[in-house]
Amino acid sequence: MNPILSFVVILIGVYGLATSRNIIKSVFCVTIIESATILLFLNLGAYEGGLVPILTELGIEIVDPLPQALMITTIVIGSTITSLALMLCIKIFHHYGSIEWKVILRGDK
Amino acid sequence: MIRPSSLIKRISLVFLLGGVLYFFIISFTDFKEIYNSAGKDFFLLNGLLDTGSRNLVTAIYLDYRLFDSLFEAGILLIAVSGVMWVSEHKITEKNANFMLDKQKTPELFITFSRLLYPVMLLFGMYVVINGHISPGGGFQGGAIIATAILILYYIDIRKTIEVNLILTIEKFLFLFLFTIAFISYFTRGEFFTNFIPSSMGMDAQVFYLYLLNILIGAKVSLGLIAIFTAFLKEGR
Repeated sequence: MNPILSFVVILIGVYGLATSRNIIKSVFCVTIIESATILLFLNLGAYEGGLVPILTELGIEIVDPLPQALMITTIVIGSTITSLALMLCIKIFHHYGSIEWKVILRGDK
Repeated sequence: MIRPSSLIKRISLVFLLGGVLYFFIISFTDFKEIYNSAGKDFFLLNGLLDTGSRNLVTAIYLDYRLFDSLFEAGILLIAVSGVMWVSEHKITEKNANFMLDKQKTPELFITFSRLLYPVMLLFGMYVVINGHISPGGGFQGGAIIATAILILYYIDIRKTIEVNLILTIEKFLFLFLFTIAFISYFTRGEFFTNFIPSSMGMDAQVFYLYLLNILIGAKVSLGLIAIFTAFLKEGR
């Protein structure tokens, strides 16, 4: 059930991307999609009663470590990509004087 | 106020996304047969012996899938360079006035920042170095170290960081990381794995994990510091 809920959050992000009129809101929607993807992947290997994948003693039941190792890189990449997008937003505001999609797509200065 | 034509578009978008969700749920029913625990069992059996790391997540991103981590470090470098290039940050400029205003920052905040700064730095280094036996590693510890160093801006606004130097160090760190990952071809005959042969025992293999965790931690922390400094200078 939980992966389906994560997928609903991804779809909410897609809806926000399609309907938002502000650039910063679009960047936030990309961030929502990314967070929901992280949730989806972490859910895959996890189950109730599973311990963290650190072998402190023999014969313990662990969760799947592979999705966690993939997502740890996703978090760092996501933060840097978000910062790059926000820096582009600042540049767009200096150039067009607005961060509304309508004004920018019209091409006025 | 939403116009009627816009409303129709939105309702059709909701129906479209509902269809996507329906297909996802349908394809998810036989998911249990596709996804099995074979990978988990493999890592549980061989992870410690192959890599010498008790933390299996560290074992995966520093040994089994080092190729992923290398290109993740490359993307980090590209993103930091992009932020530097897009921002109108003059690299020669040294004493820029920052956005933070000394008058508006509470005195309590400054005092506690002074107290917390060394503790945070120490904790970050602890997390980086113990990445193979406890929760943590280069990525998380690097973020903690970056936060600790950025707190210096609250303590003294006139503090400056030479971003040009940071970018140069980061480029060399990436080359160094790539070189270390490549050494294993000469010692073990395989690309992108631990360069210390597993016949030398787990205690020797841990050295490689220390080295790579420290390198990745330095790279992540320097990248985050450079990005934050660029944003501060942009907000003048």
